Amino acid sequence: MLFRKHNRKTVPGLNTSSTADISFMLLILFLVTTSMDVDKGLSHQLPPIDKTKKEQQMVDSRHIMIFRITENNKFVLDEKPIPLSQIKPRVKEFVQRNEKKHIIQLEANRKSAYNSYFQLQNEIISAYNILRNQRAARTFGKTYELCSPEQQAQINNEIPIRISEVYEPSTNETSKGGNPKQ
Amino acid sequence: MSLYRRHNHAIPALNTASLPDLIFTILFFFMLVTHMRKASIKVKYQVPVGTELTNLTKKSTVSYIYIGKPLGETGQVVSSETKIQLNDKLVSLNDIKQSLVRERNSMSPEERKAMLVSIRADQNTNMGLIIDLKQILREANVLNVNYAAVTKPKR
Repeated sequence: MLFRKHNRKTVPGLNTSSTADISFMLLILFLVTTSMDVDKGLSHQLPPIDKTKKEQQMVDSRHIMIFRITENNKFVLDEKPIPLSQIKPRVKEFVQRNEKKHIIQLEANRKSAYNSYFQLQNEIISAYNILRNQRAARTFGKTYELCSPEQQAQINNEIPIRISEVYEPSTNETSKGGNPKQ
Repeated sequence: MSLYRRHNHAIPALNTASLPDLIFTILFFFMLVTHMRKASIKVKYQVPVGTELTNLTKKSTVSYIYIGKPLGETGQVVSSETKIQLNDKLVSLNDIKQSLVRERNSMSPEERKAMLVSIRADQNTNMGLIIDLKQILREANVLNVNYAAVTKPKR
């Protein structure tokens, strides 16, 4: 008992057995108060209401494409039914043919589903994006997303998105002409 | 060393020293992937699938419109009538215009130009409702609209 080791000098380490509990609490907090919401979507610009003039210019039938969505969610182009997969090439060829003087007109039946309207918009915008990418690659050598805002604005000017939506409210028919520019 | 050592045959317990590290990993995942929910969602909706989607920027000026069938307390669909929820309360079509105008007036002029409305509507909503909603948005002079969707792989 004479040569007992003195253990008084070592400081005991921190007791970390409760860090797991702390992290569980934080995890439960985050699980309960947050949500993985969708963050993406199709952008669109609504045209402002203009009560003074109605844009009823008569457009040459070669420069206009009229889409309709029927009650059963079928697509009709210029009075002929068309499947969804063919819309993109038709729109692409139409926009390429008439550089700036084109108009695409959409009309959706009130009882059709929102999904079909969305798919139609998706295909039309995808056709525009393909054309814009091609034009960007030709003029600037890079895709549309990598261009600077001024270059994008220039391409937007060359290939404007001209979609006009016609609809019928419950009583009368009005048309909202619009040039949504993205 | 005597020959009769005591043999201790107890199986050693699991070493849980790395459990906090695993939990922190999961916690960091959730912190990065999710964001705080501003309001509880009172309608059930499923957004459509699309390919040409852009990210929502400037979360501060975004108002959310949810359209779907309303949920009861237990999370079950209460009625089959489609309802509209603006930010955190259920509204009817007439009230939306006032609420939007009120929100618009509470923003500064720069924010007003960047004001965006994210429409999260169920896939099977009737277009008639969407058309009326868009007309009201135009009347309230809120012109930036984003139809929420999830991506699908490009064919």
